[in-house]
Amino acid sequence: MKLGHTRAVALAGVAGTLVDVEAHIASGLPTIAVSGLPDKACGQAPDRIRSAASAAGVAIPTQRIVVNLSPASITKHGSLFDLPIAIAVLAAAGVVRSQVATDAVHLGELGLDGSIRGVRGVLPCVLAAARAGVEDVVVPLENVAEARLVDEIRVHAAASLEELLEWYAAEHRRGTPVPLASPPPPRPVTGARVVDMADVVGQPEARFAVELAACGGHHMLLSGPPGVGKTMLAERLVTVLPALSRSLALESHSIRSLSGLAAASSSLDCTPPYEAPHHSASVAAIVGGGSGAVLPGAISRAHGGVLFMDEAPEFRTSVLQTLRQPLESGTVTIARARESVTFPARFLLVLAANPCPCGKAWGKSSECTCSALELRRYQSRLSGPLMDRVDIRVTVPPVPRGAFVEASGEGSAAIGARVLQARGAQAERWRALPERLNGTVPGSVLRRPPFRLPSRVTATLDHGLDLGTLSLRGYDRVLRLAWSTADLSGHTTPTADDVGLALHLRSGGMAA
Amino acid sequence: MTMTDGRTGLARRGEALAARHLAGLGMEVLERNWRHGRAEADLVLRDGAALVICEVKTRRGLGYGDPLEAITVTKARRLRQLAGAYVSQADEGFGEVRVDAVGILWPDDGRPQLRHVRGVWS
Repeated sequence: MKLGHTRAVALAGVAGTLVDVEAHIASGLPTIAVSGLPDKACGQAPDRIRSAASAAGVAIPTQRIVVNLSPASITKHGSLFDLPIAIAVLAAAGVVRSQVATDAVHLGELGLDGSIRGVRGVLPCVLAAARAGVEDVVVPLENVAEARLVDEIRVHAAASLEELLEWYAAEHRRGTPVPLASPPPPRPVTGARVVDMADVVGQPEARFAVELAACGGHHMLLSGPPGVGKTMLAERLVTVLPALSRSLALESHSIRSLSGLAAASSSLDCTPPYEAPHHSASVAAIVGGGSGAVLPGAISRAHGGVLFMDEAPEFRTSVLQTLRQPLESGTVTIARARESVTFPARFLLVLAANPCPCGKAWGKSSECTCSALELRRYQSRLSGPLMDRVDIRVTVPPVPRGAFVEASGEGSAAIGARVLQARGAQAERWRALPERLNGTVPGSVLRRPPFRLPSRVTATLDHGLDLGTLSLRGYDRVLRLAWSTADLSGHTTPTADDVGLALHLRSGGMAA
Repeated sequence: MTMTDGRTGLARRGEALAARHLAGLGMEVLERNWRHGRAEADLVLRDGAALVICEVKTRRGLGYGDPLEAITVTKARRLRQLAGAYVSQADEGFGEVRVDAVGILWPDDGRPQLRHVRGVWS
């Protein structure tokens, strides 16, 4: 009985499961059968393996070969199983004898010429392998950068099957260690546009709202006529957010790796991501999904950063509704008949809206041509449960000519420093809570001692509640914002002014 | 038929070699090139109580792959049906029915290499 053995990783979302790849050579007609729930791409591996092996100068035995991917109950997606299947088959055939090959995780697609080609999702695979205690991983040369981000594992990268087989032969015969992958050359810095809050002309209120949103993690609605800089403000929100923590950056990079967007940078990118999907986007594009393997959507790509929805009322209602659950839980679960995949999706939502469909309903001499019905329909699209989760509603007015000559506004670095300090204060105050941001603190915590504010501070709020102009949910939201304004101004607890400012920011903008 | 004499000659030589080899294993050749409708069994043999339908594939080189690779699942299934047809018209009974394959690599200037696979349809 000839058995060959190696390992791979099967992904469901960003979660990986270690897979044992076994190959058994039996007597029978020459075939390679792959069992263990392969998808189409994975099931076609034998065709590529035969050609790749002959290009590498080794022969696949012309006998019946059964390959099993265990555990057989989870679907194996994609072509990254080519390399592990080839290694298991060649181990069964006695070509590969190295123990390293048996213990290592192999990832990669094989070309007919024996080259090992890059695949998606290498980072989450390598992370899963490292967590499972695997010591060596072999990845395609193309994916070295992302694989090397994981510290606890030795990364090897071969250009072709032939090269890898030579390494294993040398390891088996002479004990030569399998060479480690060298760091990829640093990529030339492309002329990426550097954005900064200093670019924003005027707009003191919107600037403050951006700072506040970054500070407490408050979702935000910017409303105003076209061309006043709503997009500009949203783009710059990421520049004042604190850098991602290592674990968050790895999660974010894993999602990009799955989407095939991982840049070949040799260092971990800790910049919060910025996603701005177009308003024609489908539900699957926003929350994730797709046919075959489930891919992350825009909300997951924005994990740890900003999701900007320009022309928010133009998005399909179904798309806007699907945002509610991720906004609440910070994750999105895509359920299929056979599998259910969860992606992280904790993002800062920034909505932008025009005052009306034609965009001209602004100022005293309004040239708006929209009918009353159109206006009402437009504004109602954003109301309801989604807006309940938006703490800051700010109106962005047209910039007066006088603002051009003013000195440019404060830069992102200075604002970012204040945000970081304010976040430090929050982390200290909410240390007993799972989420240590003002924007996610439960209302019950804010309304009870020790964080209950004295009645002279909340007088305006209490009055609103009594009159019925403010709901209890609205009350909580104002309190959260008040804590953020207090943190930014260095107050230990919110003052009456902080509460007043928060109340103003909450009710600003559209009538919603 | 477009087959040249050279190639059918090679096939005939291969079948003869396979028949000798299987006989050497203790099998009894019942028929050669037994036809049923459009299908043909290269060799029909008796192996103890078993009826064996055997497909023989002979090639000069590996340019188009191993000779046995030419026997696909479809082909094996057709051979199995052929076995059924043989049993129903035969006078004698069989305890078991089996489909075997023999692949022969026979270079023009060398000795033939033969490989026999038992029970390809299972």
